[in-house]
Amino acid sequence: MGADLGLRETPGRQAGRRRPGRPQLIRIATITVLLLFVLFGFPQLLSLYYIDTMTQVAVYSMVTLALGVLVGWVGLVSLGQVAVLAIGAWVAARLLFATTQPYPVVLLEAGLITMAAGVLIGLPALRLRGLYLALITLMFAGAITVVLATLNFPNGGHGFTGYNGSLVHIPPIRRPSVAGSDPAYFRYAVIVAILMFLLVLAHIKTKPGRAWAAIRQSEPAALAAGINTTLYKLWAFALASFITGVAGGVLAGAVHYLYSIGFPTQDSITLLAVTLMGGVYSMWGAVVAALLYQFLPALLNNWGVSADWLTILFGLGVLQVLTTAPAGLADQVPKDLARLGRLLSRRFRSPAPGKTT
Amino acid sequence: MIEVEGLTVRYGGVTSLDDMSLKFQEGTCGLIGPNGAGKTTFFNVLSGFVRPAAGTVRAYGVDLLSMAHFRRARWGVRRTFQTEQAIEELSVFDNVAMVHEHSKLGAATRRKDVLDAIDFTGLDADPDARIRTLTAGQRRLVEVARAVVGRPRLVLLDEPAAGLPDEETSHLGDVIRAIPEHTGALTILVDHDMSLVSACCTTTAVLDFGKLIASGPTAAVLRNDDVIRAYLGVA
Amino acid sequence: MPAWSDFEPFIVSGLALGGVYALSGVGLVVLYRATGVLNLAFGAIGAMGALIAWSLIQAGVPGWISWLACVAFGGAVTLGYGIIFGPALAKRDPLVKAVATIGLTLILYGLMDLLWTTSGGEARSLTLPSDNGGFSVGQIQVNWTQVIALAAGVVLTVGTGLFLRYTKLGTAMRAMANDREITATLGVPVRRVEAAAWLGCGVLAGIAGVLLADLVALDATTLTFLVISSLAAVLIARLRSITITFVAAIVIGLLHDLLTPITSLTNYRDMTPFVLAAAALLVMPRSQVMAQSREEA
Repeated sequence: MGADLGLRETPGRQAGRRRPGRPQLIRIATITVLLLFVLFGFPQLLSLYYIDTMTQVAVYSMVTLALGVLVGWVGLVSLGQVAVLAIGAWVAARLLFATTQPYPVVLLEAGLITMAAGVLIGLPALRLRGLYLALITLMFAGAITVVLATLNFPNGGHGFTGYNGSLVHIPPIRRPSVAGSDPAYFRYAVIVAILMFLLVLAHIKTKPGRAWAAIRQSEPAALAAGINTTLYKLWAFALASFITGVAGGVLAGAVHYLYSIGFPTQDSITLLAVTLMGGVYSMWGAVVAALLYQFLPALLNNWGVSADWLTILFGLGVLQVLTTAPAGLADQVPKDLARLGRLLSRRFRSPAPGKTT
Repeated sequence: MIEVEGLTVRYGGVTSLDDMSLKFQEGTCGLIGPNGAGKTTFFNVLSGFVRPAAGTVRAYGVDLLSMAHFRRARWGVRRTFQTEQAIEELSVFDNVAMVHEHSKLGAATRRKDVLDAIDFTGLDADPDARIRTLTAGQRRLVEVARAVVGRPRLVLLDEPAAGLPDEETSHLGDVIRAIPEHTGALTILVDHDMSLVSACCTTTAVLDFGKLIASGPTAAVLRNDDVIRAYLGVA
Repeated sequence: MPAWSDFEPFIVSGLALGGVYALSGVGLVVLYRATGVLNLAFGAIGAMGALIAWSLIQAGVPGWISWLACVAFGGAVTLGYGIIFGPALAKRDPLVKAVATIGLTLILYGLMDLLWTTSGGEARSLTLPSDNGGFSVGQIQVNWTQVIALAAGVVLTVGTGLFLRYTKLGTAMRAMANDREITATLGVPVRRVEAAAWLGCGVLAGIAGVLLADLVALDATTLTFLVISSLAAVLIARLRSITITFVAAIVIGLLHDLLTPITSLTNYRDMTPFVLAAAALLVMPRSQVMAQSREEA
């Protein structure tokens, strides 16, 4: 009984302490090279239009990452993540106008305040069925558009809202002193994104990650194992809100001017769609999702094709993912490519036996 | 010792447990009965998933029902489910360690406790292996390891041998029989396999339609006319 | 604080709005109970139906045929979705099924913007002949559309309740809400009952689409997300009771419109569904965590 997996180490049993094996190191090296290329190669190779687009990709990859953690790891669905992003952007803009605090501090504060707001919204629903959380976040997405339409984003004015409707010359939201230009800000955004990914990684590989995996599989079983499921769901929600808040701060600096029409209800839904399509179980999925969300529209815009086709595509994508490939593109595409590779290599191998003349 | 007094569960017009009163003694106790008798409902009450309409449960002097469900696990209630609950993408070690890290025990003894539990079940697989690479029998042993790691006080096993071939069932029986001595925990075993029940359990209780119809030494209970009638139906 | 007379017209419009929310909510609840699907695309379906009706009217098709086309469209699309995607998702969690309807929402939303683009054009409107007639209750003007809206809500709620309780199809739907598999073993044609539920929901979406397009606005975004108000009512009713759905929907409609004359709050009145739903969540008892699997013992 029992399969010999050939993984046994010395009889002293090193179980529980994992040393990175060769494939792990290769993966880390590849990712590092890729990131260095993105950080230093992109600004050289891409036009300003696409640098701006890629900055948006960096921003939204943090949001899709947050959503991926919620949906993929814990099984919680938020239909209002763009509303959370708006809160982060709002807080950051307010602080950037009202204070001279350094950018990282502002980002941190935006993240923390957004985290508090997210927890407040989510907490009542987290005790109940997942469907209720999805509903209340959808309603929240709608409610935020109402608030933003009235309050508007800060534009340098005074008072709590920081909005002055009669300002003629609206100052742009400032950027960090080291990253004023678009290419430099792009690098800044990517670095913040990398930090957020590392933050998520730190969670997934440790106690909360395991607890989330247990909750996703079966909440009763998790409870029976002693896991305080409400606490861990709250933790996931707090983490997701924090990361999205930070992303909002980066967004504020990226666009310089924030408008309430930039955060419509349907964007929250589209964001969930692309996150599902990209793949909620892997971190690459978040990047793929952000590319779908920002890069494809920019591409289509350049070619004069309406973005509505993408909306329809994303709708079909959701249906496809849910009915067939729950792990999403990031999981499916490599599998499909691998299958294609095997097919091709079989083709080009020496002739099959029996085919001799 | 576990004292159950007047336990009644009603859900949607069905009375799943009807005024059940029973004392569970130290060692391994069996709980049997036809399908729908209320056995899993009883476990669900103990786990805290179902709130009884009436009744009390005192375990080692503690009022179990007043504790929040996840706290009961920390206190020492451990349970396996009819459907497999081991987490696929984690390793054997992590699955067992998870129960440990959410209990009152500290990190200092964790590795030792986890490896001890895995050893106890006789699981013949690498602790770092992912669950999805194991066979059904091995997974069941992982679940047992999760139930016995650390310091359990009450171990609830819900049909652990379901679907297993004979040699694995007998190995499981050996493991279950050893639980009370190894951990000091009171073990309640629900199963339909009568040979497993008679091999492991010193005493057995029988439920039928939510009512307790017999309890006592296993051999006598299994010969009881009422019990036989409950399983085979009245002619 | 405005005078009572300032509120009066909004009582009527609020009741009318609430009536439509109620009929939408009832459609959502019945479909949910029969199939486990909370159809978040309900608003989008009605929106597209209303736009189709508008286009037909612009093309000269008589009014009543156009509205019928809207209702037919609603029924067809919803039924089609149910037939194509229902079986594939039948065994999944209600959350997954609801998210799937998001897919449908996006497809319709994209189509609507593509075919009836809003950029650069003037606002469209849909009027019903019942807008023109009416009567007065004291100082308040009531037009027939508003009466129809409220009446539709009442009639559909009562009618659905009776249908579920006293007809064979309705009883079958209630049984399936409890347990689809067991109902199937009892010989109930599960697929056919589900199809009826989908069709019914779709027809209601079409009707709601026409009424809301008239009462509120003929705008894809607005109509698609007005479903949020009905969803709030459905949430308050815990996805179960049709009566509570009705009451909650009326309250939401009334409260929303009654806030209009209050200058300090009027800008926020669209938040009404969210606020009421959040309040309801706070007082909701934590549901029992039933151990999974259809366990016998």
